[in-house]
Amino acid sequence: MTELSNFAGDKMAYIDGLPFPIVTGETILQFAKRHHFSIPTLCDDTKLESYGACRVCSVEVALQADGDAKVMASCHTPISEGMHVQTQSAQIQKLRKNIIELVLTDHPLDCLTCESNGNCELQDVAAEVGIRKIRYKNSTDHSDYRTDQSHPYMRSDLSKCINCYRCVRACDEIQGEFVLAIQGRGFNSKIIKGASADGIELSFDDSACVSCGACAQTCPTAAISDVFQSKSVQAEKKVRTICSYCGVGCNLEVSVKNNEILSIRAPSDAEVNQGHTCLKGRYAWRFYNHPDRLTSPLLRKNGQLEKVSWQEAYQFIGDKIIKLRKTLGSDTIAGISSSRCTNEENYLMQKLMRVAIGTNNIDCCARVCHSPTAYGMQQAFGTGAATNSIKDLTKTEFIMIIGANPTAAHPVTGAKIKQQLMKGLPSIVIDPVKTEVAKYATYHLQLRPGTNLAVLNMMSYYIIQSGLVDQNFINDRCENWNVFEEEILNIDIDALEKISGVDRELIKQAATAYANANAAMSFHGLGVTEHSQGSRTVMNIANLAMMTGNIGREGVGVNPLRGQNNVQGAADMGCQPHQGAGYFPVDIEENQELYERHYGVAMPTSQGLKIPEMFDAAINGSLKALWIMGEDVVQTDPNQAHTLNALASLDLLVVQEIFLSETAKIADVVLPGASFLEKSGTFTNGERRIQAVRAAVKPIEGSKTDGQIVADMINHLGHRQSSAEPEEMLKEISQIVPFFKGVKWQELGDNGKQWPVLEDGNGTDILHVDEFRRGRGKFHFFKFEETKELIDHAKKFPFILTTSRILEHYNAATMTRRTGNELIIDKDILLINPKDANKKKIANFSKVKLSSERGEIELTAELSDKVKAGVLFTTFHFPELMVNRVTGDAKDTETLCPEYKVVAVDIDVVI
Amino acid sequence: MSENLSKLSARKGLKENLFENIIQAKGSPVALKSIARQHKVGESNVYGASTAYDFIQGSNADKKAYICNGSSCLCANSQPQVKQKLLAYFEQTDIGHATCLGHCHENHSFQLKGKNYSGDDINHLDTIINSNFESKENYTTTCLLDKPLLTEEINQIESYYQLFTELIEDKNQQELLQTIVDSGLRGRGGAGFPTGIKWQACAAENNSEKYVVCNADEGDPGAFSDRYLMEQRPHSVLFGMLMAGYLSGAQWGVLYIRDEYPDSVTQIQKAIDKFEILNLLSGLDFEFQFKIIRGAGAYICGEETALLRSIEGQRPMVSVRPPFPTVKGLFGKPTILNNVETFSAIHWILEHSAEAFASLGNGASTGSKLLSLDSSFNNPGIMEVAMGEKLSNVINRAGGFSKPIKALHIGGPLGGLVPLEKIDDLSIDFESFADNGFLLGHASIIGIPQSQNIAEYLEHLFEFTAAESCGKCFPCRLGATRGKEMFQQALKGENKLDRELLDDLLETMEKGSLCALGGGVPLPVKNALLYFMPEMNHLFEQIAFDKIASIDISDREVK
Repeated sequence: MTELSNFAGDKMAYIDGLPFPIVTGETILQFAKRHHFSIPTLCDDTKLESYGACRVCSVEVALQADGDAKVMASCHTPISEGMHVQTQSAQIQKLRKNIIELVLTDHPLDCLTCESNGNCELQDVAAEVGIRKIRYKNSTDHSDYRTDQSHPYMRSDLSKCINCYRCVRACDEIQGEFVLAIQGRGFNSKIIKGASADGIELSFDDSACVSCGACAQTCPTAAISDVFQSKSVQAEKKVRTICSYCGVGCNLEVSVKNNEILSIRAPSDAEVNQGHTCLKGRYAWRFYNHPDRLTSPLLRKNGQLEKVSWQEAYQFIGDKIIKLRKTLGSDTIAGISSSRCTNEENYLMQKLMRVAIGTNNIDCCARVCHSPTAYGMQQAFGTGAATNSIKDLTKTEFIMIIGANPTAAHPVTGAKIKQQLMKGLPSIVIDPVKTEVAKYATYHLQLRPGTNLAVLNMMSYYIIQSGLVDQNFINDRCENWNVFEEEILNIDIDALEKISGVDRELIKQAATAYANANAAMSFHGLGVTEHSQGSRTVMNIANLAMMTGNIGREGVGVNPLRGQNNVQGAADMGCQPHQGAGYFPVDIEENQELYERHYGVAMPTSQGLKIPEMFDAAINGSLKALWIMGEDVVQTDPNQAHTLNALASLDLLVVQEIFLSETAKIADVVLPGASFLEKSGTFTNGERRIQAVRAAVKPIEGSKTDGQIVADMINHLGHRQSSAEPEEMLKEISQIVPFFKGVKWQELGDNGKQWPVLEDGNGTDILHVDEFRRGRGKFHFFKFEETKELIDHAKKFPFILTTSRILEHYNAATMTRRTGNELIIDKDILLINPKDANKKKIANFSKVKLSSERGEIELTAELSDKVKAGVLFTTFHFPELMVNRVTGDAKDTETLCPEYKVVAVDIDVVI
Repeated sequence: MSENLSKLSARKGLKENLFENIIQAKGSPVALKSIARQHKVGESNVYGASTAYDFIQGSNADKKAYICNGSSCLCANSQPQVKQKLLAYFEQTDIGHATCLGHCHENHSFQLKGKNYSGDDINHLDTIINSNFESKENYTTTCLLDKPLLTEEINQIESYYQLFTELIEDKNQQELLQTIVDSGLRGRGGAGFPTGIKWQACAAENNSEKYVVCNADEGDPGAFSDRYLMEQRPHSVLFGMLMAGYLSGAQWGVLYIRDEYPDSVTQIQKAIDKFEILNLLSGLDFEFQFKIIRGAGAYICGEETALLRSIEGQRPMVSVRPPFPTVKGLFGKPTILNNVETFSAIHWILEHSAEAFASLGNGASTGSKLLSLDSSFNNPGIMEVAMGEKLSNVINRAGGFSKPIKALHIGGPLGGLVPLEKIDDLSIDFESFADNGFLLGHASIIGIPQSQNIAEYLEHLFEFTAAESCGKCFPCRLGATRGKEMFQQALKGENKLDRELLDDLLETMEKGSLCALGGGVPLPVKNALLYFMPEMNHLFEQIAFDKIASIDISDREVK
């Protein structure tokens, strides 16, 4: 991006005789493009460093109007004042033509049958330079290269490779994966994906490729492509929308023909993802018309789910709800909204509960992931959202990552972080697992699971001890410092060092490095929140940022990596039992009046139930009906037996789903919702960016958008909801949610806006610039406390299991299991340290039994030094395994977020 | 050039050097995998890098014997005999090739058991193989100056290095840098960039980590003057590097020595050991450590950016400039990179003054220059001349030619082909050669015998370029191979040469190539077309030029 500040005053250079202002540091190619002069090129990609391979972008450059001209490659020659650039001289045109002729001597001339026909940069440039013939005779070529069709998604046909190495550079400079490289030299230089132990070239499938598709997207020909033929030009329309997997919020461009999706690519002008995305966003979309999709409402009759009409389903639910409300009261009914759904749908869901039914029993899946973040950051700063923007990664001087595995769970942001770390940006990773970012970090504090607070308190201690606190920031902008400081200086370093298992010197070095950085950003994930001291740990991260003045400017801040595409939005929209839309606490009269003014009905006055409380209430009989929109609690919530017991105790379980999930299977009514590809609305990503989701295709026959279903039910219950369409919904939301004040559907554009969006429509990159949302930033001290899970069960179950996610699958994998990702990874694997494996006589890739107080499962063990001795790691993507049969009941003290990250287990070989 | 790979390699830097590790792995994917893990780089990266060198893996790696296939041995026609004799001891498959072992003064060059042999040595194969045999290599070192600069013997190492200690006490860094600038010394690797300006640029960079790198990858077939300096005057090289390090604030002096020069590695290492014993830097606020990085058989490593990437363990491919190495060099840090002979000149300049150095030559090319004279001279070997020396005088003082000659190939494979009639027009300096349409380059001189078929020689040059092209820029990667094929087909009688196409190819390579390899090979070809066309005329299509465009000579059409 050209920043105005870079304009080099009124310095000018000339293109084809005309003067234009130059920008310091830009190349001739960038200069010419900026002034709309077209220069052909084959190896340049604006996302990649200048490379200078194809030389097709050569121009004539003279230092004076009639001075001696030299031929130079415009892609890597800087423009300077007074330069005269000729882009189309006879000499240059001839040179380009001759280069392309050379290229075509080693390229199959089968354009008409090629996937990229009509969308091939070589074809375009060849046409532009006017090649009619190839004069070289009997040239050797590489037409003998075999195609590689081994992979579920990636394809290569290197006979079409022109050796621009854009793929190799994309693999390196964008994804940071180093899978693609070059073998041999000169004419026989060839793209490889690695070599096997006996020196045989690896296929895509055998390689370490993470299928991000960056190579396929940048390849100018059809040398590297994908199974969806995303380079072909068959599409009748391209729809710009937002990915529904993680909280990064990648922009996607969906190619559609005859109401069917052909392929997905990443638009290069996307501010969030700059033409990049991961294998989930790019390739894992085939679930949308999978035969398993639900195409009719289902109602349980005689124990069986049977297809019924929408009317019958609505009537059944409505009758039950009305009856319950009359007989036992509104608070016997609860709803769980979905962070996978749009803001508008979430807003409607809480409206259904609060306005149409009359209860604050509304929660969402943020409960089981980032509720401690929202709570903890509200306590410290006043706002439960990322303080900064992802683009700050290029401005920061230090990165701290706590309990997050971004290259797996937030792949595009993860790749950006990894790029900085590989280049040596000072960094700390606090994680019990040797994650990919830990591999490149300056300091990896590999603590025992569950001891984040111990390590962070030690960091605070050493920062204070070393005199590195930003006293001015603390004095001017914070409160409660003295109390905090006194408490910190009294912590028992010996005990905390022992309990965390991290050397105090290493913690001291890391802490002082963090404090000494001019601008340090922290990122955290579920490895922080899903703990019994999750909220407290979030507040501790805030402490570190405040005591070092790392708040309120570029390249700093506390930045939660939100797990789901719209987990930020679900909370913003009020899908929380204690706060309504816009975070107004529901138990304050003033707020109740505010909502009443909007909705014209009396509002419920007491806080509602959080998800775990809903389950408890169902078991004790005080909750009778539960409406779940798009969440598979049976597979994903901890202690599955408990969850099943709770759901079985209900009179009514309504599940809105796109597939018959584990939860839907036991529902009384199943309502077929729609996927993100079939609906319009907005998602709010992890950096508070509200982006427009646009339907690429119509909802599959028999299904409805989730917002429409909820709106139907609101109407059915006698309240008026005229529309579920985004334009209307945003009008309504912007009147209630203060930070949505200036949000208008038509004005969101392709890149959305970061909230708070002011009335004039301007968004906000950085929060808490001059003062905190709550006034002064507040320091909180909390002592490390051992989790009850270990106190109660560690003796009997001496290992600690920590659960997480992998790149290829998404949470319950409801979607990803129904795509080619299943062919890449088809089971959950348990990682075990070789020392433990040795003790337990567990062989690599053997079957093991994993047991806890709650239950046991069998899965495959892999020996790995990614985990320390005593710690086990697995994922919970596959219902066949049901890892949540073993997870426990410990919860975050403040928000009841389950402690998925510390589970007392034992492990044994299966004989 | 990958910034990520450069920075990751920098983590272990020169101490546990990635490139050295790659060489040790000898292409074993298993060993390379473990190296990749240790250095946190991709397995494909290290494997790919490994495949870019002749002597690590592939068809030419790990051979029992290597035969020189450089231009001089080709012209001397000595190698068929060498090969025949080697075949008495080795299988065909045990014999590889090395492009120039730098024994061009007596040819018959080959390598056995890690040592180079030439001249009459081939007649002692039995002794070489079965016991110890020291090469009887012999060449003359002549100096046409009153007092030698580069060829002067260094007797007393202590007093030689004393100059350093004295200078850094007596003069400040700016003054010393100015002396180098004022001397007019220009890079001796061939490009002729002003050395002092380069050093000043690196010194001006505000960075606590800097490097000095000596380009001792003397890959030009026909050149052996750097080898001479490293083996006979190694302290002059080290002194120049030391000074560069002191003046720029660098901590490391790396000598990248080609694998084909085993004796140079030995002699430089001995010199480094001696230097370290002197303990010259103790008590100074300046730490400087020498390290040899040994190449692995890739001509392109003589190009400065490819050389830096090679040390980093990346594929030796040419990087775009800017940024120049003085700003972003080895491991992304400011780096002074000069040729062996450039460094060797520093001591004399600082000892005798910039003026004394600048007084030699024509004002633009100053000081002295070493010439490598091949076996086509009666007195082959190393000759030191003042810049501006007449080429004809060089030939005279070398005793004339040992055989009938029709041209001189001066300045390596990318230098010009000088026909006999142009000899009197030339003097040994950058300007004279450039003005006459030739290139001084590194100033190696190979005599092209009367008997040498010029078209075959051009095929040899294209073949060399095609084999050594790094594969990055399109004009060189494709053009060198096409040029080779055109000459091969013409010589075999399969297809005549198309003059217009050949001219287009030469122009494309010359103007379009990223570095001097692809950009340089057209020069000798163009010289040949200018001066030796009658000899090649029969290889060309005899069609009036204006008709060529209208005739379909393509067997393939673009759809």
